[in-house]
Amino acid sequence: MSQSIKLYVRTADQTRRAELNLDPGSTGADIIQAAVDNWTLPADTDYTLVNTTTGRALAPGEDLAKAARPGDVLEVQPVLVAG
Amino acid sequence: MDELRTQRYRRHDLIDWFSQERVAAARTAVIGAGAVGNEVVKNLALLGVGEIDVYDFDVVERHNLTRSVLLREADVGRGKAEAVAERARELDPHVTVRSIAGDFWDTLSLGRLESYDCAIAAVDNIEARLRLNQMCQIAGVDFVNSGLDSRWVTVESFPFGSTPGVACYECTLPDTAYARVAERYSCGGLRRRAQLERRIPTTVVTASIAGALVASTALRFGTDATLAHSRRVLIDTIGGSSSVVEIDRRDGCPGCGAFAAPPRVVRTRNCWAPRSESAADESLGELPLRLSDALITSYECTACGPLAAAGRYINQRAAAFDDSIATCPSCAAPSVRIEIRDAFSLGELMQRFGYSMAPVKYALAELEGGPVCIDLEEYPIQ
Repeated sequence: MSQSIKLYVRTADQTRRAELNLDPGSTGADIIQAAVDNWTLPADTDYTLVNTTTGRALAPGEDLAKAARPGDVLEVQPVLVAG
Repeated sequence: MDELRTQRYRRHDLIDWFSQERVAAARTAVIGAGAVGNEVVKNLALLGVGEIDVYDFDVVERHNLTRSVLLREADVGRGKAEAVAERARELDPHVTVRSIAGDFWDTLSLGRLESYDCAIAAVDNIEARLRLNQMCQIAGVDFVNSGLDSRWVTVESFPFGSTPGVACYECTLPDTAYARVAERYSCGGLRRRAQLERRIPTTVVTASIAGALVASTALRFGTDATLAHSRRVLIDTIGGSSSVVEIDRRDGCPGCGAFAAPPRVVRTRNCWAPRSESAADESLGELPLRLSDALITSYECTACGPLAAAGRYINQRAAAFDDSIATCPSCAAPSVRIEIRDAFSLGELMQRFGYSMAPVKYALAELEGGPVCIDLEEYPIQ
């Protein structure tokens, strides 16, 4: 049986930070949605998730249990559109 | 180099890792002549990049002047690409800077894209980035994407030319971004008339930082080991922090999933019928094709039946029209049923549209030997 792992999530400006116990099967999209909802991030912006500990961007549907280890820091970054 | 050129680039020659000859031989396409495009073109011209082509469909407005280093009051109302190219030529007359007015989707063919060492997205919407991302993979050209707001800058590098098989722009793009693109269209492909464009404020501070990093990245493909992998740099221009992450290829990515290997490009005339009858064998007729543009395939009023206006729309790009064409020209009711598709078999296209012009850039197919791109733009029928 999979066990939950403890991670940290923060915004790119590092003004928001939370510790979370990752449920088995959680994806990057789940974490982003939770961040948008709980931290009332601007809803008209899209976001991606990166693992700052490994220095890798995470795909939206990636299983975080495979892409992160206990203690890793995930960062919610905006998808920037203007040019 | 002549003496004037030698004098101009004398300081560059003191940099041990900088090759002026290599930079002078570079050919770069800059898509978008807005805030970032201005900074990129300025930097490339001052560095002495040999050929710079600037693509933009827009005209200069007064509000552009606060963050567009190459534009002046006198340029208001002029085409952005033309104005930016002209000012860049003033910066360095040794550099060839061309302007290409119009939407790059109409003006930049795959064949032309292949001639560049690097293509740079300095655009202001995701849809244009999706298109450039796919075109650069097909053409095997290194791709740099930039984005910004009033605080953040991102620069992403995708070495499709120097390191085939790397991750693409869509490998980390969230589903919400596709949903936002889809909001611009109705009926599966017609542009919405009443679509509020989101205006994202930017400043020359973020634009100049983006432009500097984009130019540096574009010139270092093939020479810098850190650029042998797709990567994203995010910079906080207020806090001063930055992060660099590598982007891995995503299984089933909508952007690169079809390109396990770089596609083989086949060039043909832009007509649905094959060049010769021998090419129209039955096996090819069954070949599934995914077109670069969705087409209108039927146009009929549910109340009035077939419409005389159908000839204006069928076998045309759906995105060329807005949703006003869903109103019947006969009964004035919003009752026109419009079929829009981008997936066909070659035989079906030939049967439906015969020798008509193919109003798309290219078609993608999967053959036994790997993916194939049928380029329909290089040989226009007369």
